[in-house]
Amino acid sequence: MPEIKKYTEAELIDALKKHENDAYVYLYNNYKGALFTVILQIIPDKENAGDVLQEAFIMAWKNIDKYDAAKGRLFTWLFNVTRNCAINTTRSKNYKQQLKNDSLDNYVNDVDERTSHILPINQIGLRKQVQQLKDDYRNVMQLSYFNGFTHEEIAKILNIPSGTVKTRLRNALIELRKQFV
Amino acid sequence: MDIKSYISSGIIETYVMGLCTPEEKKELESFRQQYPQLNEAILNFETELEKNLVRDATQTGIEMDNQILKALSSLSTPVVDIKINLPKTKKTNWLKPLAAAAILLLALSMVFNYILYRKTRDQQLAIKEKENYSPLPVADYNILKQSTITPVAMYGVAPHSICRCTLFWDKKTRKAFIIIHHLPMVEQNNYQLWAMVDGKPVNVGLINEKIRGRFIEIQNVPAGATGFIVTLEKSGGSSTPTVEETYLSGKI
Repeated sequence: MPEIKKYTEAELIDALKKHENDAYVYLYNNYKGALFTVILQIIPDKENAGDVLQEAFIMAWKNIDKYDAAKGRLFTWLFNVTRNCAINTTRSKNYKQQLKNDSLDNYVNDVDERTSHILPINQIGLRKQVQQLKDDYRNVMQLSYFNGFTHEEIAKILNIPSGTVKTRLRNALIELRKQFV
Repeated sequence: MDIKSYISSGIIETYVMGLCTPEEKKELESFRQQYPQLNEAILNFETELEKNLVRDATQTGIEMDNQILKALSSLSTPVVDIKINLPKTKKTNWLKPLAAAAILLLALSMVFNYILYRKTRDQQLAIKEKENYSPLPVADYNILKQSTITPVAMYGVAPHSICRCTLFWDKKTRKAFIIIHHLPMVEQNNYQLWAMVDGKPVNVGLINEKIRGRFIEIQNVPAGATGFIVTLEKSGGSSTPTVEETYLSGKI
């Protein structure tokens, strides 16, 4: 069995930027599970979520030049690339077809209740933590983090000023962070 | 700037999780270079988030792993895999060298395409970088050189301590030029500039805060001004300042 190479973060970034395959294998093995959960919480279907995971790593491979270590850690960048891929998938025609009976209102009010009994993924991690927030905070988190709407869009959907969206989102995240134990 | 309250405002969390607005992002990225404690707080949250997400990892399965690793390895080591099955007849023997030449040409063309692609991409990136960089326009820069200009540093008033503007007052033309360093974007309301004359605020005019990175010109600044304040007022402005909504203040 070949020896598994270990990298420091700086070495890993360097090797990733050189597009060394070993570095991508290491990156994948290190973070696949965490990122799979991130996707599953947005796209509950395992098969679709697997496709998004692949897309996210390909995206990372193609855009690694744009990663700037001064602006954040590698995992944070990868996490954001992955979440964006998942959000983009939910906006694709195919995916919308699957969910064509769901209106925006359903997303705001019912998505948690509607899916929680079929998907154990809602019982772990960020989904679970978000569900424990008070309504005001949960709604902005749902629309922002899980649905990918901008502050302006959320303001229109919830009929509140965008300043309020910003404040609620910040407060929601402060609350969520307390649960990161 | 009250960096402690900025750090604990929730901005770090929204930034790291990719949920802040482009304006918030830009502001934070500029602040983090000035304040090491802000940078440290960002890294702390990033580490916490990673730990939290890694803890909640979901198993992917061997099949999925193999498929994704295969896709990644095909990106890292591009392989030209061309198979041509030619019928083995005497008459078509000349096809062999022709096919070899065609493959060679194809491979060469791919190499050239790749080089060309890299070159174009680098050029596009360079253009993009240039577009993102917007220095103060010459017209604005020339205003600063005038001897009649009095610069007034305007500082944030609590709870808006992080706000900053600089006002350049030209006493000769009675004009003021404001440049915003930090002032939150507002939707329905307007920022209004007041001059302090004999200890009383006198309306100067509304500030078009949507102009960022350039001078915002304001006319008819009263000659006897000893200071300026900026308040947030209802759309269109007010006749008297809403003191509790004072964002900025500066003395001459």
